[in-house]
Order: sequence, then C-alpha cells, then structure tokens
Amino acid sequence: MSCVNGAVPTTIIVAGLALAGYALTMTAMNRRMSVILLGALGVLEILLLVLVGLIVAKLASGARPASVPTLVGYLIAMPLVPVAAAFWGLLERSRWGPAVIAVAGLVAAVLMVRLHQIWPVIHV
Amino acid sequence: MSEQPASTRTGPGRLLVAVYALFALSATARAVVQIATKFHNAPVAYLLSAFAGAVYILATVTLTNGSPTARRIAVVSCSVELVGVLGVGTWSIADPAMFPDATVWSSYGSGYGFVPLVLPVFGLLWLRYWARRTRADRDAG
Repeated sequence: MSCVNGAVPTTIIVAGLALAGYALTMTAMNRRMSVILLGALGVLEILLLVLVGLIVAKLASGARPASVPTLVGYLIAMPLVPVAAAFWGLLERSRWGPAVIAVAGLVAAVLMVRLHQIWPVIHV
Repeated sequence: MSEQPASTRTGPGRLLVAVYALFALSATARAVVQIATKFHNAPVAYLLSAFAGAVYILATVTLTNGSPTARRIAVVSCSVELVGVLGVGTWSIADPAMFPDATVWSSYGSGYGFVPLVLPVFGLLWLRYWARRTRADRDAG
C-alpha cells in the first residue's frame, strides 16, 4: 500500500465540519455544552487517534516526509485538539462553550489539508 | 438581561483565548522548526514568525489573566499584532523576494484564512468592552 488510507482523513474532515456546524448552531441558539457535543468530540478524538496510528505505521515501514519534525509535531498536537477543546469548553457555562468546540472541529478539518501538504501520501 | 461575563477569559473571551492559544502554539512551533532546520532559506520570514508567535503567547496569557495590568499589556500586544499583520502583509506583497517562505502574517494571513487579520480586531473590541465596563463600574461605585 503506497498511501495512508484516504477514508480516515476524509471522514475527519466531514466529521469536523459537521461538528463545527452543529456546535455553532448551539451557540446561535444560546445553548450550553451538552453530552451530545462531548460525545461528538469523543468520536473525533478516536478518528484522530486512528489516523495517528496509520501514520506511525507508515513511518515504521521506512517512509519519510520532507520534514520529519513537522510531521511529529502534528502527530503530537492532533489528538490534543479535542481534549483541550473539551476542557476549555466545559469550563464555560454559556453559549461560548459550544463555540470553542466549533473551533476544534474546524481545526481538525484544516489539519487534514495541512497534513496532506506536509506528506502527500496522506490522501484526503 | 443576560448575565455578564466575569472575566476576560469567560463568555466570548473563552472563544478568543482558544483561538489565540491555537495561534500561539502553531506560530511558535512552526517558527522553532523552521529556524532549527532551515534558517538560511528565509531568515526574515522565520524571525517574523517567531516574533508573531511571541506576540500571540503574550496575548493569550494576558487575556487569560484579565487583571487591569494584564489588560493593558493585552491592548499593546493586540495592537502590535494588528500593525504586524498589516505591515508584514503589505511588505510580503510589495517585496515577495524577502519572503521565499510564508509567515503567519504574509498576505494579511491569507494562508490562515485571514484569521490573523481578524483576531486582533476582536481582541481590541473585547478589551474596549472591559475598559468601558470597568469605568462604568467605577463611576457607579
């Protein structure tokens, strides 16, 4: 297999954008953090961890991107995004909690595009 | 009447601090990697990235803290940021040869969805809201 399976990054983009859309709707409707939002963040986290696993497997097979430090930075930062958003969003007892979650969803989607630029074997 | 946020880091500030923290982390990490691995390719761009990262860190910390002194420092860092994104944005378009590699502020932050251009404006608006509220509280008290 010459590339990381494109289904996972594509799913992350769709899931991230859907999460952002839902969370922004909650902000617009003046809703606070909900179990649904936390569950969706959990799903995003699992997807990101699966992708990290796939990329690490690719690295283990001997393939290398142009900039290894950048990729390693992304591998560390990616799974932290939903965790940090959950922590920061739960501290907020207003409509702005879901707004923080929306940022995490958008960031996850953007990270997939950037990953593809860093290492084109990661197909989107 | 809706309840008022208790600090610069709550309410809309929660979102602002989240985005600032994101840019503090990404700009700084990117600058560190670039300076460590290929500084001579584009020294001006990488140093400006590092400077931008430092300004984002300062804004994140001071907006999270929210004390009167921290708010004054935050006004300065958000202003520097706005001048930086406008200045570097213009410079990068006028003299592309100086920027063989992009900074956060190149082309007014177009590589980052123009968020670097919008962020300091919202930061300054948020700080103005707090300055006015503090003044109103003092006048009332």
